[in-house]
Amino acid sequence: MHFGACVVGSEGFDASPGYDSLHSFHRMVLLKISLVEPGTVGPCPVAPDALQGIKRQQTNPARWKGAGWQAFVSALDAAGMELVEGAAACGVYATDAGGTAYGLPHGVVVARSAGQIASLLKAAQTHRVPVTVRGGGLTTEGESVAFGGVLLDMSGMSRVLHIDAKALTVRVEGGIFWHSLAEELRREDLDYLSAPLNLTSSVGGTLGVGGIDVNSARLGCSADQAIALQVVTPTGEIVECSDSQNQELFQRVILGYGQFGVITEATLRVRPYTPLSMHYFYYSSLATAIEDLQMLDRNDASDYSGILTIMDCAVNLLVAFDSDEREAAFKANWESRLRGYGEFGFALCMLGHYALRPWKLTEALYLLQRKREVFPEFRRAEYMRQGKMHDRTVVFSRAVWKHWGSRQMVIPDLATSADKFVAAVERGNAVCRKYFPRYTLYCVGIKLRPEHQAHYEMSCVPPDATGWAYGCEFEPIIDGEVYSRDHFQAFKNAIYDIGVDMGASYYRFGGMMKGYIRRVFGDALVDKHLALKRKADPAMILNRDVIF
Amino acid sequence: MFGLFEQPAASRQDHSACSGCSLCVLVCPMWRARRDPRFSPEGLAKALQCGATVAELAAPLDACSLCGACDPVCPERIDLSGMVMALRGALPRAAELDSQLTNLARQAASAAAPVAGALLLPGADLRANPALLARTQMLLGYGLAQDDGADIALALETGAQVSPTRRRRFLDRVEGRTLIVGDGLLLAALRRWLHGVRLQSLGEALSSQVAIRRRLTSADFYVIETRAYHAEFERLVTYYDRLRLETGCALNLDLQRIAIPAMTQAMSRRREMLADEDLREARWMLKGRQPRRIVVESLADRAVFEKSCDVPVLHLAELAED
Ligand SMILES: Cc1cc2nc3c(=O)[nH]c(=O)nc-3n(C[C@H](O)[C@H](O)[C@H](O)COP(=O)(O)OP(=O)(O)OC[C@H]3O[C@@H](n4cnc5c(N)ncnc54)[C@H](O)[C@@H]3O)c2cc1C
Ligand code: SF4
Ligand code: SF4
Repeated sequence: MHFGACVVGSEGFDASPGYDSLHSFHRMVLLKISLVEPGTVGPCPVAPDALQGIKRQQTNPARWKGAGWQAFVSALDAAGMELVEGAAACGVYATDAGGTAYGLPHGVVVARSAGQIASLLKAAQTHRVPVTVRGGGLTTEGESVAFGGVLLDMSGMSRVLHIDAKALTVRVEGGIFWHSLAEELRREDLDYLSAPLNLTSSVGGTLGVGGIDVNSARLGCSADQAIALQVVTPTGEIVECSDSQNQELFQRVILGYGQFGVITEATLRVRPYTPLSMHYFYYSSLATAIEDLQMLDRNDASDYSGILTIMDCAVNLLVAFDSDEREAAFKANWESRLRGYGEFGFALCMLGHYALRPWKLTEALYLLQRKREVFPEFRRAEYMRQGKMHDRTVVFSRAVWKHWGSRQMVIPDLATSADKFVAAVERGNAVCRKYFPRYTLYCVGIKLRPEHQAHYEMSCVPPDATGWAYGCEFEPIIDGEVYSRDHFQAFKNAIYDIGVDMGASYYRFGGMMKGYIRRVFGDALVDKHLALKRKADPAMILNRDVIF
Repeated sequence: MFGLFEQPAASRQDHSACSGCSLCVLVCPMWRARRDPRFSPEGLAKALQCGATVAELAAPLDACSLCGACDPVCPERIDLSGMVMALRGALPRAAELDSQLTNLARQAASAAAPVAGALLLPGADLRANPALLARTQMLLGYGLAQDDGADIALALETGAQVSPTRRRRFLDRVEGRTLIVGDGLLLAALRRWLHGVRLQSLGEALSSQVAIRRRLTSADFYVIETRAYHAEFERLVTYYDRLRLETGCALNLDLQRIAIPAMTQAMSRRREMLADEDLREARWMLKGRQPRRIVVESLADRAVFEKSCDVPVLHLAELAED
């Protein structure tokens, strides 16, 4: 028997299936990991670019060269601030959820307090070092990737500070994940209003970009639930702001893509928790499903509504309710007006459709396979109680990552006024068909709040929308396929061009779409915001290249 | 119509498959205590993708408690706790742990052959409490294995090497029997090594006993042992959901139905005083709840709860009437 210190390798003793034995682990170290130079980015999973023939918008900003970095590091050191460098610390930030933009920071600061961030930003202004803020890193166009400079990781400030169950508000640190917030609220039988359908986006990151949920047609976007913020400005002042205090800063930080300050704390509206009852209606026409969705939203007929598709063949309108009363009212007044089928009826309809089109057999098989994989996720027994779904974000997020997620995710989107939406989705759908064999669409309504008009300026909310804006994500299913960056970029450009053409906006607009900003919003508005930015951030260090 | 087509479990992947979704971060007690992504499974996987050396990862590798919470949530099916165990093997180990391993191995070598029939492999914690061990054995009615693989369990945890001869000898002794296993890591390993053998965790075996189950009430907070639970999450999530429904007890599950661990310390530090980290996790579990009693599957968890609250804390085996 031999138990040696620092021993690697033993025939037949498998530590785990993936790392089958320490012996194979050793091989892994030798063969896989050592191929990557420490301090560099690992092999790029995107196929090589031709970089020819396609008119590209800016995709990867130039890397900041590091001028004055050492003096900056010394200044932070003198202030007692921890900044970590090297592959072990920086590697986790090499890309975002999109997995197509790659870049490493020179160093990382994990956020601990507003005071620490204020010192960091002051030093960054002095030394002109770019600072990229990262919450959950769920951007898909590299907005939360640092191409040099400092990466400020907000997950270090991720606690609930105070729940006021009477006033139905919560005060949180800016880096908290929506899911961690849900965990804490649930202990008090409370829930947030609306948040992205993934567990790991952060409150600060979301308030800056929008945040759409399947209840946004009723409750608005996540950014609309913020009552007050603590913000560290790009020059390092710690400021509390709201609609009544430092109003202008509040308006610019909400939906401001991190340009005007770092959100370190937020007061949010919350609500009593309720499980929900979910209904699914199936369509074969996008336009019909969207018209029905908008009819429900206009009439406040449901608490949750959205469309999720398998390409444009199986279009699923989901409708859900917080209470039995609302569900009963829907059944009595609205259900019969929907033109979608139940599951069985739709299966028969599809059977007839594909029986007459045998050449589309592969498509039919794909639909069947996708349905078999995805549908059970939405009905897992541990999340259902007496027919009601508990923890919808967990259910959706699990499904999203398992069945849509991959090391690359390209999710361009369009946000339009209600009346332009069908046309925008149909045009986007045609682009998807052209570029990818498999894709999915996700459509939701976003209730607008007239009193927040100032928040919406130069944001994801289309300028001509009143009452509701509608958003559609166009997501190719990559499924292990390898596409070039050019292919992805051409696809995104084609979607975004529809937006420019139709006078729409983009609900996760930002980052590498910098090239579109003037075409979408026009010079006057962009120049107004650029002037504000230059005033607030003289060295232009904060979240550089995201918008400006 | 649904459920008929459940896909067969795909095989596990390595760190290169990490897509950076951060779902593992949400459930990781080592991250919760530090809020620093380096101390998370994602941090480890991504650092490896970027060429970090094992030595650079020593601190998080040492801090991981191998609770296994990260494994079932990873949509890429990366064997994250397996990755930690394997990487630990490349780190220097404290001399004290080595001598502990040698002692355990010596005891195993001199152990008598087990009696015929179903066997209880109690694990180090339960073996250290003879009265509770006797009670557990009586409740289950199983023979006690003198050699319960404690050395192998510790080797798994610390990434040490076990000779093929030792492993074969151990497996030969237990092969073909029904086994109840107290150590969660050993249980998970046995599942991979032995086929066609009925294996149960101690927690599942005891909580299935009518004499124990009927004593659980809605005033209880029931603490599932995390390693065994996460290693067989898909099946056990349903088992414990039923236990909750039948008895009304609250469970240490989060909204993803992942078990929150009370004992969050790695084996290498377990003999130190209970850390703040453990007490914080226990308080987090109890936040917003007022149980009249805490029932634990694992003795390590009992110590944490006894220190962090003043309601009675019982091991499952102590629940049954005398
Ligand atoms: C699989 C998947 C599903 C998604 N589903 C949805 C959905 O259902 N609904 C939806 O609305 N969106 C969705 N998104 C988009 C994503 O959730 C949003 O972009 C998200 O809200 C961003 O939050 P984050 O914490 O990840 O921000 P990050 O990606 O970290 O950052 C976003 C931007 O904000 C800046 N920033 C981050 N934190 C701060 C801060 N504290 N202060 C100032 N600036 C900051 C960053 O620099 C960056 O420019 C999805 C994305 C993915 C990959
Ligand atoms: S096993 Fe537990 S402590 Fe270790 S990385 Fe996974 S979740 Fe974190
Ligand atoms: S859950 Fe898996 S894929 Fe997601 S970040 Fe963690 S290791 Fe990576």
